[in-house]
Amino acid sequence: MMISEFQEAYRNRHKLAEGWKKAGKKVFGYFCNYTPEELIYAAGFIPVRIRGSSENIELADAHLPGICCSFMRSALDQALKGQYNYLDGVVFPKSCDMTRALYSIWKKNIKLPYYYFLPVPGKSTDAAVDFFIEELRLFKESLEKYTNKKISEQSLKQAIKLYNENRSLVHELYNLGLRDNPPLTGSEMFAVSRAGLVMPKEEHNAMLRKLLPGLSSAKGSPDGKVRLMVAGNTFETIELLQAVEESGGNVVIDDIDIGSRYYFSAVDENAEPLRALAERYLRKVPCPCKHPAEPRLYHMLKLAKEYRVKGVILLTQKYCDTHLYDRPWLESSLKANGVPVLVVDHSDTGWVGGKFKTMVQAFIEMVG
Amino acid sequence: MEIKQDKPVATPFKAARLAVSAALGTLNDIYYKELANAKQQGKPVVWITSMTPIELVYAFDGIPFFPENYAALCSSRKVAEELCKAGEARGYSQDLCAYALCAFGIMFENKGAFGDPPPAPDVMIATEGACATHPKWWEAMQRHYKCPMIMIDAAYTVDSETLAQRHKAYYAAELKEAVKLMEQATRKNFDMDKLREIVSFSDQASALWDEIDAMRAAIPTPISQIDVFTCLFPLVTLKGTKEAVEFYKQLRDEVKTRVDNKVGFVPNERFRLIWDLFPIYHNMRLLNYFAEFGAAFVTDLYGNAFSGRVDPSDPFGSLADRYLSFFMRAASWGKAELYKKRAKQYHVDGIVFHANRCCRNFTAEQPDVGAILRDELGLSSMSFEGNMVDPRGYDDAGVKSKIESFIEMLEARKYPKK
Repeated sequence: MMISEFQEAYRNRHKLAEGWKKAGKKVFGYFCNYTPEELIYAAGFIPVRIRGSSENIELADAHLPGICCSFMRSALDQALKGQYNYLDGVVFPKSCDMTRALYSIWKKNIKLPYYYFLPVPGKSTDAAVDFFIEELRLFKESLEKYTNKKISEQSLKQAIKLYNENRSLVHELYNLGLRDNPPLTGSEMFAVSRAGLVMPKEEHNAMLRKLLPGLSSAKGSPDGKVRLMVAGNTFETIELLQAVEESGGNVVIDDIDIGSRYYFSAVDENAEPLRALAERYLRKVPCPCKHPAEPRLYHMLKLAKEYRVKGVILLTQKYCDTHLYDRPWLESSLKANGVPVLVVDHSDTGWVGGKFKTMVQAFIEMVG
Repeated sequence: MEIKQDKPVATPFKAARLAVSAALGTLNDIYYKELANAKQQGKPVVWITSMTPIELVYAFDGIPFFPENYAALCSSRKVAEELCKAGEARGYSQDLCAYALCAFGIMFENKGAFGDPPPAPDVMIATEGACATHPKWWEAMQRHYKCPMIMIDAAYTVDSETLAQRHKAYYAAELKEAVKLMEQATRKNFDMDKLREIVSFSDQASALWDEIDAMRAAIPTPISQIDVFTCLFPLVTLKGTKEAVEFYKQLRDEVKTRVDNKVGFVPNERFRLIWDLFPIYHNMRLLNYFAEFGAAFVTDLYGNAFSGRVDPSDPFGSLADRYLSFFMRAASWGKAELYKKRAKQYHVDGIVFHANRCCRNFTAEQPDVGAILRDELGLSSMSFEGNMVDPRGYDDAGVKSKIESFIEMLEARKYPKK
């Protein structure tokens, strides 16, 4: 199993999804890592994460002001161009203000057979969990009504098991980064893990099972690369991680919403499924749209220690409010704990590699 | 042959001052004096976000303080730019909400609109009721002021039809939890009868506001958009007090007299417009520039965001109802529906969108709201970029030239040359 196969699966995600459709399967889009994908999977869909792209924005500007983040503008642009026409439905969980607004913008401008807005509490208290269980039950009912088929407890438990397997396989992959000489580079890790966002989990699992044994026994070469963490927003530009590698660094761990914040916490397979899902999604490492924010800092500090990083690249997408509010605090807290930080403003569209590389080189020189 | 319209000509005029302005000034002075003396009087200073039920603060004898409102004051007193820059110097992006950026400046520089900073909070309450960014902003301030912070979770819905009993029940439970936390933080006991009385005053103020708002439909429209924004202060900050009710009775009577006598604030009203959404506090006069062409704003939703009927016989339930059905939470078609109703009721010719550069939350759907109004009502619109608080980058000449083109278009549509 080659890394390039994961890379290809991600790059060709629209084409692959169109293929599944032709084969009679149903594909369901979702935003954000607060969507309980297990429910969608159990309802008979292939859940795929809606992603941005580095392509130029052509159609979205007429519907969404330029002061909104490049991820949302780019996702909308792809949909307006018809690249998401294969979707049988899409769900927007309440996370940031943009997911709320984009629900209505998509629904008004993109014709899809099914839309759902999922209220997700802003906190993780017991009352919030109880409230969320009820919301999950209603989402489940809505999916059942749409597909005209009940989601059995059995199938939901199977979905949870499958997703947990995926999380644990990707976690094994992350564990390779703990070694002094990881057998994969950060960009390779990223390629492998993010492919899982846009393909059936059983396929991703099968590919991971082929990939992992060889890696587990592989000896990474002692290359003297400076170990780093990337944290902050989601991003598309894998070139960014390659630029780190070309500059004498290697990202061995992350705190991003499609990385450790997505893959690291499992759903309790022994609890009642909806409760287990509600607890997992509200009590995983929080994204900055949830309150309180401190558990994320502790997560970062723990990872920084475990993965022995020399510094953190704190990447914030331009116009992403929730991340921008946390940034000065995260920067100073990490530094206070002896972790150097490089603050980077990022945009997937119009990314300037040269500028980034210069910053990263200087940072690596400083911390290495 | 093409028929040329005459270029519209601006005619400066002096709007008649409302007689209640004096009373408003007094209320303002009293409030800021009470705020300054709160600590000496043993009253808790409670910093709250907009859409925090202010009624809870008054129930604990607290003095509510709205950093948003205060940032607006800083902006109109021309000190916001300096404060925003100070926030930026501490790592906060210029793209963030300028209310927040200004508040960060106040926090780090220990300065305020009149020199001295506002008193530090004893308790802070945030909610996502308006913006998901509010709790983030409050968390950042809490780390600085180190006082208790209460977060009232407001389960988000996007359509009024999806707002259900379970959302209200969760919110009402959040309010009850907030009461417990307020008891601990203020060391005062909660008094339900007191809350009922406050809720009753709050309801009366809102009812009066709605009455005044409805009278703006008169032709000519009796008061200006500047009057509306200026007279909002008691509805925002003093809602739940007897003083606010008394003020709005006076304002209602004055507006009614104008309507009865067919007195408009513009000498010659030719166009009637909707304003969406935020004021531009550093340049309120821009609203009068429209009036110089005989264009009056006859309705907006910003002011009404602070009005909402509540029921003293069911304080928690009705507060849940009121704060969760806040219109800004509606999807584009929900907002458009509200404007469609108003466009008819208020005999509207067009809508002006202030694309507030620092507010994604309420700017993102403006293009769609405009499209719905155009497609369904044929309503003309214009949009311009600004920032409610921070004057940097604001292109006054460019905006004015846009306004002139808009007026020209309205003129051609409403009063075509034969």
